[in-house]
Amino acid sequence: MIATAAFSVELILLGTSLLVLGWDLFLKEGSKKDILYILAFLGTGAATLLVYDRCPWSTGTAFAGFLVTDSLALFGKGIILIATLYTLAMLVRYLKKAGERYAAEFIGILLIASAGATALASSREIITLYISLETLTISSYLLASFAKKDAASNEAGMKYLLLGAFSTALLLFGFSYLYGLTGTTMIEEMASRLRLMPPGPLGVFAVILVVAGLAFKIALVPFHMWAPDVYEGAPTPVTAYLSVASKTAGFMAFIQLFVLGLTVPGLEEVWMGLFGVLAVLTMAVGNLAAIPQTNIKRMMAFSSVGQAGYIILGILAADKLGITAVLYYLFLYAFTNFGIFYSIQLVSHKTGNDLIEDYAGLSRRQPLIAATFLVCLLSLAGVPPLAGFTGKWYLFSAAVQRGYVILVFFGILFSVVSLYYYLQVIRKAYITEPKDASEIPVHPMEKAILLFSIVMTVVLGAFPGAFMRLAEAAASTFPALN
Amino acid sequence: MTSQAISLPDESRATLLAGSLIPGLLGYFLLPRPEAGQLAVPLLSFFVVLPMLVSFLMIVAPGKSYRWLGLAVSALTVGMSIRLFGFYGQAPAGFQFTEQVPWLSNLGINYIVAVDGISVLMVILTSVIYFTGTVTSWNMEPRGKEFFVLFNLLVGGVFGVFVSLDLFFFFMFYELAVLPMYLLIGIWGSGPKEYAAMKLTLYLLAGSAFMLVAFIAMYFGSAVHTFDLRVLMDPVRTAFSFGFQKFWFPFLFVGFGVIGALWPLHTWSPDGHSSAPTSVSMLHAGVLMKLGGFGIIRVALPCMPDGARYWLPLFALLTIVNILYGSIAALKQTDLKFVTAYSSVSHCGYVLFGICTMDKIGINGAVMQMFSHGIMTALFFCMIGFIYGRTHTRDIPKLGGLLAVFPLVGSLYIATGMASVGLPGMSGFVAEFMILVGAYQSGYQHNFGYFKILFPMAILAVGVTAIYVLRVLQNVFYGPVKDPHYKGLPQARFIEYFPMALLMGVILMVGLYPKPFVDLVNTAVGPLIDHVGGFK
Repeated sequence: MIATAAFSVELILLGTSLLVLGWDLFLKEGSKKDILYILAFLGTGAATLLVYDRCPWSTGTAFAGFLVTDSLALFGKGIILIATLYTLAMLVRYLKKAGERYAAEFIGILLIASAGATALASSREIITLYISLETLTISSYLLASFAKKDAASNEAGMKYLLLGAFSTALLLFGFSYLYGLTGTTMIEEMASRLRLMPPGPLGVFAVILVVAGLAFKIALVPFHMWAPDVYEGAPTPVTAYLSVASKTAGFMAFIQLFVLGLTVPGLEEVWMGLFGVLAVLTMAVGNLAAIPQTNIKRMMAFSSVGQAGYIILGILAADKLGITAVLYYLFLYAFTNFGIFYSIQLVSHKTGNDLIEDYAGLSRRQPLIAATFLVCLLSLAGVPPLAGFTGKWYLFSAAVQRGYVILVFFGILFSVVSLYYYLQVIRKAYITEPKDASEIPVHPMEKAILLFSIVMTVVLGAFPGAFMRLAEAAASTFPALN
Repeated sequence: MTSQAISLPDESRATLLAGSLIPGLLGYFLLPRPEAGQLAVPLLSFFVVLPMLVSFLMIVAPGKSYRWLGLAVSALTVGMSIRLFGFYGQAPAGFQFTEQVPWLSNLGINYIVAVDGISVLMVILTSVIYFTGTVTSWNMEPRGKEFFVLFNLLVGGVFGVFVSLDLFFFFMFYELAVLPMYLLIGIWGSGPKEYAAMKLTLYLLAGSAFMLVAFIAMYFGSAVHTFDLRVLMDPVRTAFSFGFQKFWFPFLFVGFGVIGALWPLHTWSPDGHSSAPTSVSMLHAGVLMKLGGFGIIRVALPCMPDGARYWLPLFALLTIVNILYGSIAALKQTDLKFVTAYSSVSHCGYVLFGICTMDKIGINGAVMQMFSHGIMTALFFCMIGFIYGRTHTRDIPKLGGLLAVFPLVGSLYIATGMASVGLPGMSGFVAEFMILVGAYQSGYQHNFGYFKILFPMAILAVGVTAIYVLRVLQNVFYGPVKDPHYKGLPQARFIEYFPMALLMGVILMVGLYPKPFVDLVNTAVGPLIDHVGGFK
């Protein structure tokens, strides 16, 4: 009983996944599958409730410290669960349109991916971390290629798999060195042993490998090559899921591995230096490459590459303020990005493609979708009083405090650059005359979801107090940071 | 799109007057008197919140009622701002009517608003332009509702900048004041509107990037981590080293300079102003460009006086280029709006030059110039909008003899032109005279040789200004009527000349009796210079 509390969220997700898959066996061929969605929503919702308040059923330590679910882990799990709920909502529409034959498998794999991602947030041991990460990524390969008859989707899955496997190998290689050096797989124990050791080339080599392996997962330049193709080819709900849940999980791994385990003299200079370079490259390439894109999903892929560059600044700061900033940014990023991807799916179901051109006159075809784009894209660009602004203010503050003034300057500069391509979409939606003025139908339930995203994006920007305190409490988990 | 359809029904004078006078008087008389420098109501927040609130109300307002909402609230702010002027004078100088609400305690961010003499004048300016702009865009079509929503949102941001004393909110309101501009120009503009809108937005936001880095640096560079300007102005508590000030002052100056049209970062301004619809040009040239000078006076000078002393002589040179370049460029323009836009660059150069003198009279003049130029240029754009609406051209060679066609608007245009040249009795004279006196004093009395050279160059520009203004007046208003069909054009209706007359009234009032305004500004500038110190 002591043990299960630490992974109750994962248990519920896995249980729901099995339930959905099992239930499907008893449904007649061709019958409606609404019950599956309901089950998935109920399960994920229940898991989310566990995260909501720090109740005794979801905090604790399991397997001798392999899994530690504290407020930091819970915060990460919360974001992943919100992303899962959003994705499920998008899936309903996607599957109703694309055919529900494999609905159960889709939902089942999605929930398994989420279980991996949430477990990652709790992992304090490198093997556990690795297993959680692979649970997430292998499921993601499947999800990305789920549209079996669509060549782009297949290409996306294949590309993701090949490059992902390569990066995983790098990561494991790095882990093996770390274990060889310290003789332990526990992250905190590893840190204290490394402190006692004289810094050497082996440690540096290990750190470089680990940075490279993990950088792939969150698509830092130059490990971002998979992102545009996968984002474009994968079904839109999966793209959204990858951009939020997968990224959050990746950053949780960063926090635990680097901030907790590798803030060791002699090694921290290495990964901080690497991250500094990667951050600038990521911000530059992500934001500049987004400019010429004509497909909105591809544009959002580069945008999300660029966003990762900003978030890295908080990891670089590696202190309480920095981690608070990272957590807060990931939190707001969920609402903002899902607002956008939800709208993208709504539009593409009407127009049949994802070209930015076809957004012309959107404000007259469906004002709410246009408003979602307006608010959420401007939030990503960091425009006040929206969430992205407050989040970036925190990230940049954390970085300036630690002396990374140049990086922050680049960050702000590329925020301005990003405004250019975000405004292109807004320009299409508000200024250009529509070619086809027919209304884009939106279900009232979906309107509510869009409105919710808008409201959250404004609230997290203009009134961050309450959520910021949560993030701060979560970041206070590591005594080393205070 | 700028052409206002003349066939649209005119609102009757009585309803328009009632719609503006009743809220205006309410705003003036309903406010309770302050006690010991504190008001019973959050008056300053009203300025920020009301336009934003009404912009949301407009979304759901039925039919054309959104226009009346806009009219009422803008008139209300005029009444409140005049009342604020009266209240302010009753207490000793300094920041008054402070409101403070904690917002993000762990980063030292509070919502703090307060006004000093400079902000009071800027609030008056904003409310006057807000009101006249609302009336000018009365028949804005198509998509009038969206226009009003964005317009009001923008005004809320502008008010916010002028009253904020916390750098976080200062920045937030600044961006809020800049961004709606993109859609306002992009949708309702004319000519290369999308290009102009994008250029303007990117320039201004790049400028704000400089500001933002400097703000965060000030937060961490100060001994007490805070964004509270009142604390940041206090050298004992912040202890900014000379090296720190030397490094960061240019970030602030250039950041604010972009929106203040500092040469060579001014190029967004002529494009933006000439593409924007009339009331947006009014607001942008009239108020938004003043955020630059205001920001330097409010943030850069008091927080980093040593940095200012180190850098301002160099920047003074740039501002002189501003003044001369703007006026010379205005000579060659053939589009009426471009003439006014370049003239704005030149006049805003005076604002920045006045600040660079670091002299009491010079900075007083700079603030007066901000006010005077704001009113004047709004009036210019308002009249150009009118002329374009009637003749469908802004091309100077195609116009001519318009004084005979539109006697009222023509006379007003000529009078405004005179204000632009700096004719005594008009507001422009007071302001520019003070700036030149300030430059003289910096040069001769404080024995700062550099300004001895700059000072005559600034005077030279006054001459150039006279040339381009008179050239426009001669070509557009005098001489024979170029196009016979101009003769039958309808005269200005009440709704069109009402805002023009109002703005002209302000120009004359400030020009003929500037004392209350200068006194008001001096309550803030005096202590500022005592605190900062001039050139040594």
